[in-house]
Amino acid sequence: MPYHEFECSKCIPERIKHAVDKTPAENLSDALPLGYLNTIPGTLSERGCAYCGAKHVIGTPMKDVIHLSHGPIGCTYDTWQTKRYISDNDNFQLKYTFASDMKEKHIVFGAEKVLKDNIIEAFKAFPHIKRMSIYQTCASALIGDDIKAVAQEVMEEMPDVDIFICNSPGFAGPSQSGGHHKINIAWVNDKVGQVEPKITSDYVINYVGEYNIQGDQEVMQDYFKRMGIQVLSTFTGNGSYDDLRAMHRAHLNVLECARSAEYICNELRKRYGIPRMDIDGCGFGPLASSLRKIGLFFGIEDRAEAIIEEETKRWKPELDWYAARLQGKKVCLWPGGSKLWHWAHVIHEEMGLEVVSVYTKFGHQGDMEKGISRCEAGALAIDDPNELEGLEAMYKLKPDLIITGKRPGEVAKKIRVPYLNAHAYHNGPYKGFEGWVRFARDIYNAVYSPIHKLAFVDISKDAISTDKNFVTRQMLSDKDIDPAVVNSKELHEYTGEFDSIKKLRNKEYPKFPQKGKLTAV
Amino acid sequence: MDMTLDSKKDTLMDYIMKNCLWQFNSRAWDRELQNENIIKKATQLLCHESPEKSTPADRCYWAEAKQLVDEWQCFPWLSKMTATDTKCMMGKLKNDLDSQLITNSLNEELNDPNY
Repeated sequence: MPYHEFECSKCIPERIKHAVDKTPAENLSDALPLGYLNTIPGTLSERGCAYCGAKHVIGTPMKDVIHLSHGPIGCTYDTWQTKRYISDNDNFQLKYTFASDMKEKHIVFGAEKVLKDNIIEAFKAFPHIKRMSIYQTCASALIGDDIKAVAQEVMEEMPDVDIFICNSPGFAGPSQSGGHHKINIAWVNDKVGQVEPKITSDYVINYVGEYNIQGDQEVMQDYFKRMGIQVLSTFTGNGSYDDLRAMHRAHLNVLECARSAEYICNELRKRYGIPRMDIDGCGFGPLASSLRKIGLFFGIEDRAEAIIEEETKRWKPELDWYAARLQGKKVCLWPGGSKLWHWAHVIHEEMGLEVVSVYTKFGHQGDMEKGISRCEAGALAIDDPNELEGLEAMYKLKPDLIITGKRPGEVAKKIRVPYLNAHAYHNGPYKGFEGWVRFARDIYNAVYSPIHKLAFVDISKDAISTDKNFVTRQMLSDKDIDPAVVNSKELHEYTGEFDSIKKLRNKEYPKFPQKGKLTAV
Repeated sequence: MDMTLDSKKDTLMDYIMKNCLWQFNSRAWDRELQNENIIKKATQLLCHESPEKSTPADRCYWAEAKQLVDEWQCFPWLSKMTATDTKCMMGKLKNDLDSQLITNSLNEELNDPNY
């Protein structure tokens, strides 16, 4: 697999080892992009910082917690509603964001007093919330404020509260991934083992590396509950602070996003002997395989099978409606980290899309190993691309769609390439069987949106007809496909509800009597 | 045309690389453990032997192996192989996994002393 040289990056020779063209005859030991390295001076990266990775990706999805940044208010800005990690407690963690509002005088004279005042004020403003996470920023790290000592003082004065400190300033790593690592290790060191949970099932898991984007966690939790599995904690989407202090009592760690949370799984395996099982929650085939594996581990594979059969029967005809219309469409799969390998093979196999490029902004070489293995030959794999490289790739590959974050997504739109939000989603959740159909629907809507055709019209010189050219998505998508597919009575568009999560929140689940304490499950 | 042992092994290798995640743990020692235990248990299952699954770790390896072998039913030639040939092919498969993902891997994080 040859390394790929971008024309625009010839002046940054180090970049050549960050991109590879996948070829059919070679394998990962022939070429692998470098990854998780400091951004090269001169290249304009699209990464987030280590504080962002710790707080915005992993910390803040915890739902019953006051999340306070000890730093300038600007560091906190990104918290508000830019990532849709919802929760079943009225989205407390999305509605409110907190900062100690450090200013220049605090840099000179210290900010420990202002931090203490802020902590107490926040707890008094929300007396029903008794848990807090405090996130160090570059500013408070550089002046050396002792956040832990301040938190300890408050906990002594207010014995019913508990505070977690995350020391992951923005400069503490090449990208947000450095922050993922730091908060994983801090949590397992400082908090796990402090709470003894009530065990209600013979089958107990931690669901790890899942952030409940538009309800993903609640979809997967529904399947687990239907199997009679107790989800002791979720790290961290829709997760509860005290549940996460009890992670040491699970029988199995089910790991979704290995990029952000394999560290805590590995530590729990070493310290408490809890095995780690990596799963895929996206795509009918990979999800079915994942539920079967978990079922096998606990000896309840029949329960997994029943769910797979019911869900496949309900949703497969709708997936196939979209798949028939997406065959051969070219996609650049450019998410931040794990979704490049969660999606690369299955959007090809189940929707017929051609993945012409994969990239990762903050992934490590391990993520590229998975992504390159799963995409088809011919794809261009890029680590931490700069904006010009992204543009050059799009001009060369001519994709029908970019699946990426909102920053590179807006760049794509400027050159008339539709984009889907891979991080916060458009109309998620995308996990689960129904979620996968919602993803297919969003892809279909993006690829065939008539607006993209209109966007190519140059109103300064092209004639604009106002009495014709009425088009709909389906007029565009159905003109070249088999009439038998178009007229099929079995295949149909998505028929789920606008909000697919609401119905799960008060759902009754079957009761499976406990057989007793199982040593080896 | 009949498939050779090597071409059968390559087919299974491609399947694992595309569909599984267990072979990609982040450290070399961890990959060695995963490859060793899961391929060993998969081989035992293919040869109708009984893998060890009394500890949580063994049970996890077994669940991965069992799911893999169940999915491999899409390769009808697999059930027609003798136990000797199966063991030989699976040994080669493990060597390929170790080679591509550990000994000849270009992943510079594999030997990081920390997780």
